[in-house]
Amino acid sequence: MFAVFALITLLGAVLMLLQKNVIQAGLCLALSFLGVAGLFVLLGNPVAGALQVIVYAGAILILVLFVIMLLNHHEEEPAERARPLQRWASVVLSALLGAGALALVLASPGLQALGAAGTPVEPMTLERVGTVLFRDHLLAVETVGLLLLAAMVGAVALVKKEL
Amino acid sequence: MHSAWLIPVLPLLGFLLNLLFGKRAGKAFVSAAGVGSVALAFVLSVVAFKVMLAAPGHRLEIGYGEWMGAGAFSVPLGFVIDPLSGLMMLVITGIGFLIHLYSVGYMGEDKGYGRYFAYLNLFVFFMLLLVMGSSLPLLFVGWEGVGLCSYLLIGFDYDLPDDVPAQAGLKAFLYNRVGDLGVLMGMLALFAAFGTLTIGDILVKAGHLGPQLGFGLLTFATLMFFVGCTGKSAQLPLYLWLPDAMAGPTPVSALIHAATMVTSGVYLIVRMAPLFQLTPLTMDVIAWVGAATALFAATIAIVQTDIKKVLAYSTVSQLGYMFLGLGSAGFAAGFFHVFTHAWFKALLFLGAGSVIHALHHEQDLLKMGGLWKKMPVTGWTMLIATACIIGFPGTSGFASKDEILYLASLKSPVLYWMGVAGACCTAFYMLRLFTLAFLGEPRDAHAHEHAHESPATMTVPLVVLAIGALGATAFGWPAAFGGSFRIEAFLEPSVSYGAAAAEGVVRHGGNPALMAAISTALALGFAWWGWSSYKGGLALAEARAAKWPFLHRLLANKYFVDEGVDAALVRPLRWFGNLLWKLFDVIVIDGIGVNLPAALTRVSGDFIALLQTGRVRNYVLTMGLGALLLLYVFLK
Amino acid sequence: MAHLLSGGLQGYVAVALLLFVIGLATVLLRRTLLMQFMGMELMLNAANVALLAFARWRGGDVQGTVTYLMIIAVAACEAAVGLALVIGLHRMRGTTDADRTASLKQ
Repeated sequence: MFAVFALITLLGAVLMLLQKNVIQAGLCLALSFLGVAGLFVLLGNPVAGALQVIVYAGAILILVLFVIMLLNHHEEEPAERARPLQRWASVVLSALLGAGALALVLASPGLQALGAAGTPVEPMTLERVGTVLFRDHLLAVETVGLLLLAAMVGAVALVKKEL
Repeated sequence: MHSAWLIPVLPLLGFLLNLLFGKRAGKAFVSAAGVGSVALAFVLSVVAFKVMLAAPGHRLEIGYGEWMGAGAFSVPLGFVIDPLSGLMMLVITGIGFLIHLYSVGYMGEDKGYGRYFAYLNLFVFFMLLLVMGSSLPLLFVGWEGVGLCSYLLIGFDYDLPDDVPAQAGLKAFLYNRVGDLGVLMGMLALFAAFGTLTIGDILVKAGHLGPQLGFGLLTFATLMFFVGCTGKSAQLPLYLWLPDAMAGPTPVSALIHAATMVTSGVYLIVRMAPLFQLTPLTMDVIAWVGAATALFAATIAIVQTDIKKVLAYSTVSQLGYMFLGLGSAGFAAGFFHVFTHAWFKALLFLGAGSVIHALHHEQDLLKMGGLWKKMPVTGWTMLIATACIIGFPGTSGFASKDEILYLASLKSPVLYWMGVAGACCTAFYMLRLFTLAFLGEPRDAHAHEHAHESPATMTVPLVVLAIGALGATAFGWPAAFGGSFRIEAFLEPSVSYGAAAAEGVVRHGGNPALMAAISTALALGFAWWGWSSYKGGLALAEARAAKWPFLHRLLANKYFVDEGVDAALVRPLRWFGNLLWKLFDVIVIDGIGVNLPAALTRVSGDFIALLQTGRVRNYVLTMGLGALLLLYVFLK
Repeated sequence: MAHLLSGGLQGYVAVALLLFVIGLATVLLRRTLLMQFMGMELMLNAANVALLAFARWRGGDVQGTVTYLMIIAVAACEAAVGLALVIGLHRMRGTTDADRTASLKQ
């Protein structure tokens, strides 16, 4: 099962990268997010999987798609100037970073040891998350609430023509 | 007497008031603050003087705690009032008050009225600090302060197109700088010798040493002090600034450059008299330099045509007499000449100022003449002052100068004859000045017509000073003429400072009456010659100048000393300065030191600015490269 | 290579890293601000995957899920403000091309 969801995730991501049309790229991203949600469920964490679908795929991505349609820019604008150096340096850099990171993961004995010691655990429940969240991290929750409010006010202020 | 601090602080207050409000507050306020503060200080000085006379040992020491301290080194903040400083305080505030009053009339139309009184008050403050300070550092603060005020007041008319006052102020400041360095070195030497800078402690410790211990460090210290005196009191070779200082307003010349500041050198030596008595070499130097200055400056004064220049060289010459007296161990005599000279030289300057004022700022003697009828008060007071300075029998100048000459004759006959020659020149040039200004026919009819007697604020000080000049004999009259030289006993507590009077100095013998008779007779003869040479106009003098052209040129150009200093010191220094400027400053400091790093920074900045493209993707790429580098470091 | 596909910790971390690199490549290669924005969301998700994977192998740690919630909140804020900025820029300049908005230079 892991290989399937991993494939969905990475395929969606790569398709998004290559897609010319912005709306189609957004849909590919939704595919990738759904794959990530599947991975979360496989990790024994249905709470996170559900949140991934609801918040990421359901809210944030839909917001992006709304904005895309609002601006009516479905295709990428023609480049001001060809920048081959930026392009090839980016490709090489990404490839090297990917390869290097993979090599690091495969070579790391600590990661191997942690993975080997893994025992099956009971699935995460909303109750456990809620208990810890509101018992140990109340201040963080309140702060995040305030942050969300600030972001909302900021977004309105930025977009409104005349305040 | 704890409130003695008020005496110097009052003029300081006047200074601050005039500085802050002088421009806006109007003349009445400035006059009240300027003259009033000095008048109050005078009243307080009189009170302090009386308290001092009643005190045991005639000495008041007032301490206000410690000024600065470091380890064993400690300088107290305190004042000493004894006969010496008390008398100086009376002279400074008394004559200072008269000159402030005179300035109300003399400077009345000047646009810098407030500034003038501010500077003058500041001068009185520093001068009081100089004489009252109980420690050498405090004295030195006053010493430097009066130099500053002198600079400010000489350059008072700094905006004149010919720039003469500003240059003269600068010259005075630089010459004094040389002397001040001497005072500083002397202070350091004394600290090395005695470990303290409090004047009283130094003198007491020196008194214990006894006269047989005239060792090197002490001689060095006293010689350095005398270097300081040659600067401040305009002796050879640092006298050059004083004649130029006449570019300042005339009351300033009277107060600072005749009556008080230039005598601070004499004050310093009398104050440190026990030290100087221990160093015979320094005493010889002082006596010879003083005599040489007295004669040298008097000869120059003979041919000067500017009335203030004549008086300036006369001041240099009279200061020479004071030092001649000090060098001949006549501390009281030297100081008595300071006292009498303060009266009659201030009077001469103020009289000259009155003449200049009446003639609308004409200072050339050759254009005056016949003012006797027009300006009776000025004329009479000037006549009294002239009689005093030439030593006419019965005047204060006679008393003080002949005492000095008598003491000099005990030291060396050569010194005596130099003094007599100087006195003859003095008599000649003073009568020349008086005759040219007041007698004979007016040589400038237009100026003569508009001449008038000065207002009361100017004539009252003249009269008071004239009375003082005559009455100063009450303080001392040579014993040889049936008087008693009272000031000697009066100053004794200050001069000896508890120690026994120095032995080995001859204080009697000779024939004082004969000495005085010779010098006075010769001086009166020269005075008659001076009068008869100029009573009929300039013809006789011009004929004489034509007969000895070389001598006349030499004197008229002041022995070419200024030109010599210019060629030997000023021009090489300027050349060297220019060299440093063009070579070192412009190329090394400006070029390599400042502009090169700036250019490097700019070029490298321009280069690095290329990285700032403004495109986000470039920045992310750079970040990615950094991440790659980190990855490489981890994988290695 | 086989144990990468078997659903072990290393497999999850490898997926997370690849996801991150793809997101980075999106930001680097695409000029449209909206695309770059989506690349950034992808990178955030990569972090989430790694976080929850480690939490699972640390004995089902709840803290991982809690942190994931915080990250979601921050991502939501970022989406709101970022998209508002894009709209504002489009309104002012008529473009959403990152290369055309280089006026901060100098």
